[in-house]
Amino acid sequence: MGMTSAAQVTRLLALVPYLQAHPDADLAATAATFGVSTRQLVADLNVLWFCGLPGGLPGDLIEVDMDALDAGRIRLSNAEFLARPLRFTMEEATSLAVALRALEEMADAELAGSVRSARAKLESLFGGAERIDVSVSAGEENVRGRLAEAIEAGVAVELMYHGASRGSVTQPVVDPVQLATRDGYGYLVAWAPERDGWRTYRLDRIGGVRVTDQPVGEHGEAPALASGWLDERPDAARVTLDLTAAGRWIVEYHPTVSVERLPGQVWRVELLVADPAWLRRLLLRLGPAVVRVDPPEAATSAVDAAREALALLRA
Amino acid sequence: MRGTTPGSLGGVSARKSERILNLTICLLMARRFVEREQIRTLVEGYQGLSQATFERTFERDKDELRALGVPVETGSNNPLFPDEVGYRIRRRDFELPPLEFDAGELAALGVASGVWDSARLAERATQAVAKLRASGLDPDASRVAAFAPSVAAHEPGFEVLWQATLEQRPVAFRYRSRPRVVEPWRLTSRTGAWYLIGLDRTRGEGRSFKLSRLESEARFAGDPGTIALPDPDVVAAHLASLEARRDAPALVAVREGAAGDLIRFAEPADARVPEGYRAWRVELGRDAAGDLAWYGADVLPLDPPELVAAVRAHLEAVAAWA
Repeated sequence: MGMTSAAQVTRLLALVPYLQAHPDADLAATAATFGVSTRQLVADLNVLWFCGLPGGLPGDLIEVDMDALDAGRIRLSNAEFLARPLRFTMEEATSLAVALRALEEMADAELAGSVRSARAKLESLFGGAERIDVSVSAGEENVRGRLAEAIEAGVAVELMYHGASRGSVTQPVVDPVQLATRDGYGYLVAWAPERDGWRTYRLDRIGGVRVTDQPVGEHGEAPALASGWLDERPDAARVTLDLTAAGRWIVEYHPTVSVERLPGQVWRVELLVADPAWLRRLLLRLGPAVVRVDPPEAATSAVDAAREALALLRA
Repeated sequence: MRGTTPGSLGGVSARKSERILNLTICLLMARRFVEREQIRTLVEGYQGLSQATFERTFERDKDELRALGVPVETGSNNPLFPDEVGYRIRRRDFELPPLEFDAGELAALGVASGVWDSARLAERATQAVAKLRASGLDPDASRVAAFAPSVAAHEPGFEVLWQATLEQRPVAFRYRSRPRVVEPWRLTSRTGAWYLIGLDRTRGEGRSFKLSRLESEARFAGDPGTIALPDPDVVAAHLASLEARRDAPALVAVREGAAGDLIRFAEPADARVPEGYRAWRVELGRDAAGDLAWYGADVLPLDPPELVAAVRAHLEAVAAWA
């Protein structure tokens, strides 16, 4: 189960002061706080039962109220000698400091202030975190502020959205739930009533937000952005592209089903395409780097667009 | 008396945790250095072990504690007999110092602890917040429920390069078919990909490395604190070169209502354009022909002539597929 003694000791050294700072703690909530199962937490408490001051006399050992534990409550006593947690390791402090940098790029004005001061306090404990940074493209702070305000108030917003695959401005009214990131871009995750489904909107393409007074509906939990649900849309079609070295970059920017190297510096890349307009644009951008498209019909609209543009250029 | 061994999740590793925790408490409570023989008598898990087994077990436990960040000090109580070595943990070095975070800062830290999409860093961040909670500082995440950023770090070399960058120690890996020794200056994530900027000792110059293109495991190639950082401008120049450069001016015709993202920060211009189009001055990046072809007939290049020729050649390649 991979639960090493080192991880357990680290947890115990935090658990003992935690349970003293939180008398009569709830078993399940404590397990969640420490990121373990309740079963593991009970095993931890069983270890503590055998720990205490040297000498091992009954009065020297940590007490855990086992009757309370049966009722899902944790009451720990006789552990004053471990009243404070172990100091941060450098990795712990920097993992939070770097995470705060990512959060700062996504925050609104109010949160950004707290993020900066919290980070300064962490960085004063250990140097070095400033050498690691995360940049997120998340549009304008006032856009994020409006969206955060609407999410907190539970009301719908009207977006001024510069869609990538349509190249034009739309004004969807959506129920906003979260500001999330994927691959270095910030997104609004929202329920789009007119599509009757979850949609994401890139924050740097939202030109304006109007907060309405229309309460949001109940839509259950939004799927996690990082889990690749964009790729799992049931209406997605499989398209295979053979690319020269000049087109290989798409593998690093777009989720692929498979990538295979063929003889002669050609790469065969299989993609899931949910939006034909997106594929049209991708093919237009790749241009001479594309050796073959399968099925060939998938290229028809790109070919039509290229011909239309060429005709206008000649005019 | 308490019962015998703990339940099913216990066993060897639980007994080891128990022994290490008892050792910690023993050394933390001691006012003087505790000698090995005393440790062997005082800490329950060592009792009954043979001399050789005790020595081996104690050495391992001590190393493990240090790896967890517990400051186990070595020294002697007797200046006349400095060979009589003992151990202690000073409380002031052990305990998390009092930290003052206000409610807003704590909420930010609560969100930050969930940012990592990387098993190891997620675990570290969770541990750090558990320590804050253990000192009585509880983040209230509901204040900032709207914010859910995440940072992925799945590149195989990431953990070694992260540590090397923090500790300023050189690393070795294969990149573009060559073995390299690199002095890490900066680790940076751009559009979701991690890059290392550093001095490539093999070539004697600074450069950036994309972590997803490392051709081997990364390993340490020197001790912590053994590299010097360059002038901040040098790092800044490398960072700037990672950004998609958009500094080539161009004149384009854009169909009314289309390509909003391209013209959002552009200036309108006067030029002869097809019916239903308007002229704009924009700044383009390195792959300008591909960037404009992306818009199909919604955006037409007008000037400079090399750009017009490049876009035309690009689109002709697409038109030739049919």
